[in-house]
Amino acid sequence: MQYMLLIIGNADLVAAAKAEDMQALMGAFMAYTKAMQAAGVYVHGNPLKPAPTASTVRLKDGQTRVLDGPYAESREQLGGYFLIEAPDRATALDWAARCPGVPYGAVEVREIEVIPGHNDRAG
Amino acid sequence: MQYMLLIHTDEDRMKEVVAKAKGGAPEMMGAYRAYTDAMMQAGVLVAGDALQPSDTATIVRVRDDKTQVLDGPYAEAKEQLGGYYLIEAKDLDTALEWAARCPGAAWGTIEVRPLMVFARTPATA
Repeated sequence: MQYMLLIIGNADLVAAAKAEDMQALMGAFMAYTKAMQAAGVYVHGNPLKPAPTASTVRLKDGQTRVLDGPYAESREQLGGYFLIEAPDRATALDWAARCPGVPYGAVEVREIEVIPGHNDRAG
Repeated sequence: MQYMLLIHTDEDRMKEVVAKAKGGAPEMMGAYRAYTDAMMQAGVLVAGDALQPSDTATIVRVRDDKTQVLDGPYAEAKEQLGGYYLIEAKDLDTALEWAARCPGAAWGTIEVRPLMVFARTPATA
């Protein structure tokens, strides 16, 4: 089964972190990704640029509206994700607990919806 | 440039829209299939997936060196992440045009975010 690990960054925890801890974070993510690849669970993953770079698109009365900024004003924002292949939820949660982003927010674990004809083409 | 289209879904509204649609859930699935096909034909699709409903989510936090596991999504919000597309687009305007065509824009909000590019980012599968 495939699970998505959504890495939620908390702006207060990030602001409180020491500079050297933030520098070490990238290396920790690199090592974490390598561990996932070695275990054969890694499907893909990416970091996102900070939330202020986001744009949101809505349809209202058939009209497209584009606004600058993330869809919700929140101290916690999505910072990146990993898509993993795991035999069960417990294994996915174990990987989530090892994610270097956890001390700076939280990781939300969600199972992928299997859609016939889609998942074999994309993702 | 790669952009992530984050499909934030009002799950109640989606159920209403699907219930009112003549073709029901298959109509929505067909719209997504056509959208995905259009992205593939245009050569912009990198990856995409739908997520199971937000009540299936689990949250993992570490505080004071203790791992906390909680049921439910990280935020109690009307709109929850329902899926994503990762696309390759030449600029933000192109990415926004694709976002506006996403079937989920009719019952939710599409957030478009550029990917962070590192010198040694693991290759996208």
